[in-house]
Amino acid sequence: MTDTRDEPAPALLSRREFLKKAGAGAAALGVAGATAPFSFAGPLRYKGRWLSGSLTALTWVHFVPSYDQWLDPWAKAWGEKNDVQVTIEHINNALLDTRAAAEVAAQSGHDLFFNLHPMAVYEDQVINHSSIIKEVEAKVGKYLPIAQQSTYNPRTKKYFAVSDSYVPDPVVWRHDLWNAVGESPATWDHVKAAAPKLKAMGHPIGIGQSQEIDSNMALIAFMMCFGSFIQNENNKPTLLTKNTIDAVKFMAEIARTGETNDIFSWNGNAAANNNYLYAGTASLIFNAISATRTPESGAAGGQYADDLWIWPIPAGPHGRIGLEHLMGCWSIWKFAKNRPAAERFLADLCIAGKDATIQSQLYNFPTFANAMPFKEIRKVAAADKHKPLGKYTILTTIAEKYTHNIGYPGTTNAAIDEIFQKYLIPQMFAQVSQGKLSAEDSVRHTNTAIKDIYAKWRKRNMLA
Amino acid sequence: MTVALRRRMFQYGVVVPFAIVLAFPFAWMAVTSLKPEGQVYEQSKTWTFSPTLENYGYLLHHTGYMRWIRNSCLVGLAVVLITLAIALPAGYALARLAGRVGRSLGVGIFLTYLVPPTLLFLPLSRVVSELHLGDRLWSLILVYPSFTVPFAIWLLMGFFKSIPQELEDAALIDGCSRLGALVRIVFPISAPGILTVVIFTFSLVVNEFVYAITFITSSANRTLTVGVPTDLIRGDLYNWPGIMAAILIPSIPMALVYNAFLNRFITGFTGGAFR
Amino acid sequence: MLAALLISPAVLFIGLLVGAPLVLAVYLSFTDATAGSLTGPWIGFENFRHELRDPIFVDAIWHTFLFTAISQAVVIVCAGLLAHALVHAFPGRWILRFFILLPWAAPIALTAIGFLWFYDTQASIFTWFLVKLHLVSATNHPTWLGTPTAAMSSIITVQAWRTIPFATVIFLAGIASIPQEVDDAAAIDGATGLRKFWHVSLPLQLPIALVAILFGIVFTATDMVVPYILTAGGPFNSTQVLTTWAFQTGINSGNVGEGAAIALFMLPLLAFVTIAMLFFARRAEVT
Repeated sequence: MTDTRDEPAPALLSRREFLKKAGAGAAALGVAGATAPFSFAGPLRYKGRWLSGSLTALTWVHFVPSYDQWLDPWAKAWGEKNDVQVTIEHINNALLDTRAAAEVAAQSGHDLFFNLHPMAVYEDQVINHSSIIKEVEAKVGKYLPIAQQSTYNPRTKKYFAVSDSYVPDPVVWRHDLWNAVGESPATWDHVKAAAPKLKAMGHPIGIGQSQEIDSNMALIAFMMCFGSFIQNENNKPTLLTKNTIDAVKFMAEIARTGETNDIFSWNGNAAANNNYLYAGTASLIFNAISATRTPESGAAGGQYADDLWIWPIPAGPHGRIGLEHLMGCWSIWKFAKNRPAAERFLADLCIAGKDATIQSQLYNFPTFANAMPFKEIRKVAAADKHKPLGKYTILTTIAEKYTHNIGYPGTTNAAIDEIFQKYLIPQMFAQVSQGKLSAEDSVRHTNTAIKDIYAKWRKRNMLA
Repeated sequence: MTVALRRRMFQYGVVVPFAIVLAFPFAWMAVTSLKPEGQVYEQSKTWTFSPTLENYGYLLHHTGYMRWIRNSCLVGLAVVLITLAIALPAGYALARLAGRVGRSLGVGIFLTYLVPPTLLFLPLSRVVSELHLGDRLWSLILVYPSFTVPFAIWLLMGFFKSIPQELEDAALIDGCSRLGALVRIVFPISAPGILTVVIFTFSLVVNEFVYAITFITSSANRTLTVGVPTDLIRGDLYNWPGIMAAILIPSIPMALVYNAFLNRFITGFTGGAFR
Repeated sequence: MLAALLISPAVLFIGLLVGAPLVLAVYLSFTDATAGSLTGPWIGFENFRHELRDPIFVDAIWHTFLFTAISQAVVIVCAGLLAHALVHAFPGRWILRFFILLPWAAPIALTAIGFLWFYDTQASIFTWFLVKLHLVSATNHPTWLGTPTAAMSSIITVQAWRTIPFATVIFLAGIASIPQEVDDAAAIDGATGLRKFWHVSLPLQLPIALVAILFGIVFTATDMVVPYILTAGGPFNSTQVLTTWAFQTGINSGNVGEGAAIALFMLPLLAFVTIAMLFFARRAEVT
């Protein structure tokens, strides 16, 4: 079973080195036994591998539990193969940003750090990941444009992260309810027309306007369908347009006629819109397919699972332009203690993109073109037994055609990250939907704030 | 109507409604914690449901709940000891320091409370890593006294002030050393004050949140306030009954302790904070 | 000499773990430090100037004031009443006191998550009650965290709820510290009820009330757990207070210098209030 690729002959190892390695291995074994469920001690293979020591990684508690059940053993096996003691720790996704700041302040922490959005503001604190990307590209094909746009800073010519996966963001809607009012969410006009009827039935639309990540994603994508973009392809702010004002007015109309104040109350809680759906209230939300997987698993009652359809984002006057729901991004800190192992681990994880996609039940999509080509994903999706049959095949179309990075058509940069983290876009929508400001004023105020943020990061040389 | 009857009416008229309002959230927690997870959203089953203990079982058998409690208790006890070790002598000395110096030091110590903890975790995480305490319970044991010690000194200072100097002088005449007088005379009289400090320190520690989430990442070292949001919010599902059970379990014994020692507290405060 | 020896560990400890980080935070507020970094280029008062131009920050000052003032006003009134009702024994006092102490005994980081459930949009028990009483309809009910007024009221309620027991205990201590002779003297003079309360009890309890208010203000203005967990500053920043905004700016969006400036903004004001109140508390006691 021994995999002997790129291993020098055992003979190359002197007796002294052998003893040293054996000792370290034994120590590692002791440590692992003493600590955590996710630790692993490498066996004494002493084959002169170039990796050694321990590797720590911090990641989230995945929304699809089967992914974590795959990742942890995978990491353990990887450690066995590479004589590295791997420790993977999972924390609630809402705590990742706090933890990142703490690790940087401490200049120590995990070697590998995962977050659900590109951490562009941390660029100075991480290594340039370009060599990892090159290596993975050589094995499993091109780094997809969405990943390139999300993790590369054209100003500094640096990859501040490696994205191993992204998550398409379809609309998830209750076919039974929409059918009852004789509509379907093909375009935003349809949504607006159906919304009051659905609300009258007690099943309002559930597109959030709160200070949380899902509202951010849905609203920015919605704006793009109306030809409204935060920035252009040169990363220059372009918010103040008639298109933006129209989009804000349009959504305010949907909110007033087809939604309830619930959509403003999900602040800090990205799972709230899911639960809005699970409880049987919402007739439509924007979410990743965890929103259908959870009901399928029966974990949330599950009585509506078969009526949940997934479609691409509805078309607007400017067409159908969607966003990723989440961008899985790994970064290696400059102060990482075991950079070689971290780089190797990250490369191998990206190469294993197919397993990750399957184990996440098609939640994660790989960011390297051939890790699992769309055709293959489609095949797996078609074989999915959940009703309506074949419902997941549309995911590949969504991923291929309608999924872009935050900041599209520009790149995801520090200014975009700050706008995103301060929830300026949901604020722009919500204060109009609640009648506190006119659409014009709201967009104008937001534009002022955004320009300020761009100027700031430009001064810090992180933006062209 | 007699005065006594009027007083009784006033007492019940005020206390009963307040007790209902203040304790109601816990009653609802108890109800929710007994519901099957699938039924918590159903209004028709507000009170009529088939009660189950499965959520408590889940907490005890499928999460690290007992471990979180143990970690919280360990940290709490260690911090109580450190706090007393530092605050007792300091409080005593400040109380016996006459005049301006003692007073301004006292105010100065209170002012440390104004430092917003929001960003302090950044520099402190550096301290923690320099000392190689990252992800260890020791990191919390080191950092928590930064907010328990000032409080404890402040309270004890006032308490010691209320003890007449003559008592100590008498002990000194009897041949006790200064330290002996402290240990044999002053500390025993101060029991209510010390008790107040112990319970306060412990509950401040169990309450703490920001340091705990930033310094601790491994599941083995989680404390209660970290473990509950991390492991009971599973993906996109809040395990509400489990969360409710997790809140109730530590709250009830803590409230019992508070209630049992309330009169001591009151003595502790009267002697302490206000002198 | 002995005194210095006894105090030095405390001074050393507080200096290292509160003083040094505070000095660093003050330094950071004058720099352009970003993303977790503890150094950055010196930019003077720019962070403060920048924040004062930001409407979200200016609103946050106002929200902090509202959140603190209203919750503490409620606390003082309720705790004062409760303490007077609880001070003399009556049948059932023990168990009622236990109920009243519960919110204080429970870890607030967890009970705040509990309130997230009580305010839930689908299954809020408060909504269910109101529906049952036919005060609101099942389809058109208040969203506890969904509008600025409702959300602010909700977090104020939770903050008051968690502080009332503590303030009550302090008030009880205050009442207990009134010498019995004063009480008796007042009774002999024929002072009863409100008159006694106003002329005898109130002045005597003023110092202690000031301490309760002081603790309430300090804990409410510097602690972020209730707004952070319940509203995260929303909807549209209408419950953003200085602590949550400092966190969002300094930690989540990577502007450490600005975050430090926001966090420290209140410090001089709070210090002034504290010193003034401690001063008055002492004065009131002496007279």
